[in-house]
Amino acid sequence: MEQQVTVTIIEDHPVVTEGVASWIQSDPDQRVRLVATARDLTGLRAVPLTSADVVILDLELSGELVTNQIPGLVVAGYRVVAFSGHSDPAIVMETLDNGAHAYVSKEEGREHLVEAVLAAAADRPYVTRSQARAMLADQRPARPELSQQERQALLLWFQGMSKASVGRRMSISENTVRQYISRARAKYAATGRTAPSKDALLARAIEDGVIKPGEIMPYQSFARAAADHPSLGAPGQ
Amino acid sequence: MNAVQPTAMFSGRYQRAFTIAVLFLVAGWHIGGGGGQLLQNRTAYASFAFQCALWLVMALAIVAESFLVLRGPPGWRAAWAVALIALAASTASAAASPAGQMLAVNWAWGSAGWIGVLVLLRRRFAELAWFLAALAAGILGVQVWDGLNRTDLAGFLAVLIWSTGAQVAVAAGVRALNVAADQASAAVESEHATRERAATAEIIQAARHARMLALQESAVPLVAELAAGLADPGDEQVRIRCAVQAARLRRLLAEGDEVPGSLVHELYASADVAERRGVAVDIETVGSLPHVPGPARRVITDAAIVILTAARSKVRITLAAMTPGIAVSFVADTGAIVWLPAASEGVAIEQQEDSGMLWAEARWNNR
Repeated sequence: MEQQVTVTIIEDHPVVTEGVASWIQSDPDQRVRLVATARDLTGLRAVPLTSADVVILDLELSGELVTNQIPGLVVAGYRVVAFSGHSDPAIVMETLDNGAHAYVSKEEGREHLVEAVLAAAADRPYVTRSQARAMLADQRPARPELSQQERQALLLWFQGMSKASVGRRMSISENTVRQYISRARAKYAATGRTAPSKDALLARAIEDGVIKPGEIMPYQSFARAAADHPSLGAPGQ
Repeated sequence: MNAVQPTAMFSGRYQRAFTIAVLFLVAGWHIGGGGGQLLQNRTAYASFAFQCALWLVMALAIVAESFLVLRGPPGWRAAWAVALIALAASTASAAASPAGQMLAVNWAWGSAGWIGVLVLLRRRFAELAWFLAALAAGILGVQVWDGLNRTDLAGFLAVLIWSTGAQVAVAAGVRALNVAADQASAAVESEHATRERAATAEIIQAARHARMLALQESAVPLVAELAAGLADPGDEQVRIRCAVQAARLRRLLAEGDEVPGSLVHELYASADVAERRGVAVDIETVGSLPHVPGPARRVITDAAIVILTAARSKVRITLAAMTPGIAVSFVADTGAIVWLPAASEGVAIEQQEDSGMLWAEARWNNR
């Protein structure tokens, strides 16, 4: 059996922490192990860095939005999955831009949180419906250019269809649907502020054949980051 | 919806008044200034008839441009066609005037310049500058051809500064007045918008308050039952009640930016009915949604009602702004394809059923 993915929850409401813990426990294959919980970010600093692969971060701690703390966590070597009651596309975009691997709204938690944590641990893209919504709504000048097919797959996925249904609707395989959605996500990792987590996600996407290096040409900082960090091939090390 | 009209009218009225003022100036100059000069020097021209013909050509150009500019800002083709006729007539008139005293008997330069000012008034300033420069270059070219001396050049510069200077000043003046009119109308518009926003906010506030009160009656007792252990979260019925209340709460939180009377609002109203049956309804929007006209809205809400009625426990409704129009989709556990209204009023409807889940999409195209 593969090694369990370790996770830390940072959440100021104990009842939510308990709920997340119960989702993790109810995973039939026990793929994720909860190693620590914290009520704020100072709590996290007390935990040794190597102890958790992924941090589940509530974006609002004690009434304060902590999206600007994500770059610090990412640089410290954590993979961040944001878990929030906010669904404002601007907040979702800022969260991703700051280097979070995935964004899971509280309504999506039961269905998506464990999967998002597993994807993050492997540096693979994971796109929830709220994330698809934010990508579709994105009007910033610096947004990446999505193809017609990528937009259509994102739209149908956002609308609430299963990926298999999206595939039937678009007359493509479910795998191709995943490919389109992942590629759109990878394009986002290639834009905006640089972060080791985004580089790792992009490197993995290229390795997995989700995206070709040529499709992210305009992104200058990736090349720069690659030159600065020779250990890119081994993300999170 | 009609907030733009009065302000556009306000600004448009002023622009039209400025245009008419310049039109009078151009016509007055051509008849009084140009025509007077032409008659006064009729014996000096090699062919008075040819000069009269050119005067008539310019008069016709003024008539044509008055139709053009009163209809709204002319397109570049029409504007430049008139301008080039004036340029050709001015240069031809100068070329056909006696060498040495051409400037003294010239009537056409001024008229042509004013024609250009009027027809290029609503276009970029650089276009007028190019036109006036070409006009002056035509006159200077004729002078050089005839043999230019220092007195001629001084005369040319004097007329250039006097005549072209006046034309540039008028064009700049009209532009300044336009900016003032636009600012005034923007002020009116923003005041109008502020009042409308305030009214909208009040209506939304009242509607939210009403929903908040409704929640007091439905969500609060449920929470109390859960807290007291009277309701068992393991019970399917309790879970459905929770899902419905959660959907209503979410909607209440998300509704802040909606405008009453919009499609979203009508869908919310339809959802309320389904919720009373115990169906959890989720409504999400993407992008800034366009205004959908009444008849098209009805086709969409009719489809919504059919699906909400057929759903067993949950419906997800999404509204996405598309480059042309809007895509309203429904994902619901109806278990089968449902009968949906036929495509009409610019709304196309599609559906697909997949292992018990129905997906339907109503697309309204505003093109």
